[in-house]
Amino acid sequence: MSYYDIDAILTDAEKVPCKFELDVPELGYLDNNPAQPLKSGTTIGLPLWLAELLALANRVPSTADEDAKSFVSLNLPPALSNEVMSALKADPRAVPLRDQSHNFYGLGTRMLDLFEEKEICAVLRRTFVTRAADIALHAGKAGATDDMGVGAGEEFLRGLEEWERKLFKKAHDGAKGTKEWMEGVKKH
Amino acid sequence: MHGDLGNKLVQQAKRTQNLAHLPPYQTELVRAVTREVRDLDKDVAALLEPFQGSFHPTDDQAVACTLLVNHLSMRRNKRCLLAYHHTRTDKLEKLVWKGYDVVDLAGQQVGDGSVNAGGASNVANGDGSMNNLSPQEEDYVRQYSDLLAAYKGQWTDIDLTGSLEPPRDLFIDVRVLKDAGEIQTEYGQFYVRQGDVERLIAQGYLQKLS
Amino acid sequence: MDIDDILREVDPASQSIPAETRDLQALTRAWVAERSSPELLRWPADGLFERVNDRIKQQIERVEEMTGDMDPKTNFALIVIQTELERFKYLVRSYLRARIAKIDQHTLHYLSSPDMRARLSETEQAYATRHQALLHNHYLSSFLSAFPPALQNLNDSAGNISMIDTPDTDTAVFIRLLKDSLVEGRGTDGDGIMDGKNGDIIILRWSDAKPLVDSGRAEVI
Repeated sequence: MSYYDIDAILTDAEKVPCKFELDVPELGYLDNNPAQPLKSGTTIGLPLWLAELLALANRVPSTADEDAKSFVSLNLPPALSNEVMSALKADPRAVPLRDQSHNFYGLGTRMLDLFEEKEICAVLRRTFVTRAADIALHAGKAGATDDMGVGAGEEFLRGLEEWERKLFKKAHDGAKGTKEWMEGVKKH
Repeated sequence: MHGDLGNKLVQQAKRTQNLAHLPPYQTELVRAVTREVRDLDKDVAALLEPFQGSFHPTDDQAVACTLLVNHLSMRRNKRCLLAYHHTRTDKLEKLVWKGYDVVDLAGQQVGDGSVNAGGASNVANGDGSMNNLSPQEEDYVRQYSDLLAAYKGQWTDIDLTGSLEPPRDLFIDVRVLKDAGEIQTEYGQFYVRQGDVERLIAQGYLQKLS
Repeated sequence: MDIDDILREVDPASQSIPAETRDLQALTRAWVAERSSPELLRWPADGLFERVNDRIKQQIERVEEMTGDMDPKTNFALIVIQTELERFKYLVRSYLRARIAKIDQHTLHYLSSPDMRARLSETEQAYATRHQALLHNHYLSSFLSAFPPALQNLNDSAGNISMIDTPDTDTAVFIRLLKDSLVEGRGTDGDGIMDGKNGDIIILRWSDAKPLVDSGRAEVI
């Protein structure tokens, strides 16, 4: 992960549900209620840059027989919920991933670093591979006809999340470069 | 919440990456995010005050949690500010490499018939004046131009900023797009060596005919 | 005949080849390798670029001398020399630009240790050091000087991310084997080992290719 990478920074802003494990008087503003203390047990959607380290920081047990716990416990975000996974299992191509999250795979990989979820991992991989083939097909067509994001291409791009859009652009530029090179070969 | 303004800056940076020109510098937003960092720092100091420099996380878990949130928020804002400025310097450096006189264009008005009537000013900004850059960015461009000139000076015969297309033809035909004054080449006016006129093509004086 | 044929034709170690030809080959190899590898490679320490630069200077002088001569035979030679000169200049320029692009992208990484710094030429070190200083100053004067002192650094690695970006050594590269060698590659689900033969072309991660390239058993293409 790169510090200055804009997409990584935006992925870091994706929100995940966090349940607070203690009362925190000063943090009511996180729950849009600055006047009230934040109560233990409250669940709030917090950006990854905050949630991850709050969950990983080990707070010191207050009594000897209490287990070491973190400040918050994380849950999976709606984008990785059972419903979305079922839809992806049924047909990866039918789901507009961008509606789930602009950085769907970025969010997914970050969460899978924190959660042992073999099933989600398998579904995401199959989804990526299936959709990548589709993306390559569309992008190759658009590149060879010099049609970038016009007509059918635009409609197709709308459902793609960021990794997929990058892949589309690479495949598009590759097809276009090949076409130009072939024409150059013919000319000389 | 904290970090929301920083996020706006990064969204600006994302947009900037996909634009041909450099949009206006977000002076107010940068100031607001910087202020947020200073306020957070004050909050940290206030939280620690009762402990007189010897705070231990076991003393108060809620304070420990708040401190962590404040620290992470400051670091987040720092990253957003750096990434925003870096995206812009990156773009400015590319313009300098391409030979645009980014700062000089600043003083010129639209349509005075000189260089900025062509493509160059449109790349640097949208409206022909250079107020899209912050004063600090103008300084940066000047200093970076000097640095690049010094580096190029080590390779005087190569023309480091020349074309990265492999050379194919020694001579090319060009069309003159605008008055550039007298240009002396060894082969007369219309039959010119590509290496001699690359700069003029890049700056929009000449067009290469294929 | 393309670059690959020319490179293959001559064993770089052979001494029977004129020094100029060997230099052109070394330059071409350095250019291909630099453009294809995700990490900055070591600047040639044997004075290759000083020699190439001198040659370019000589040829430019020669062109200037010959330009006055109107003899058609000279004129033809002139065009050949100039064409060759443009190609030489292109190779050097493209090579230097590929390096500067990498240095600009990961400046702090390449300045971070003596070992990394040794990959840069003296001029590149001066450029990178100054560039980093300019950037840091720009950040300071734009916002960073208003930060608490502990947050003003550009090389922290606190938290879950280092501020010093590094090249992605898992980027895929193509290599050609120059000797029969065992090739080990890591994959997402499993690793692979193959008995590579001289001349084989393989795609694998740069981190797996690097030991082969460094030991001269393969070259990046």
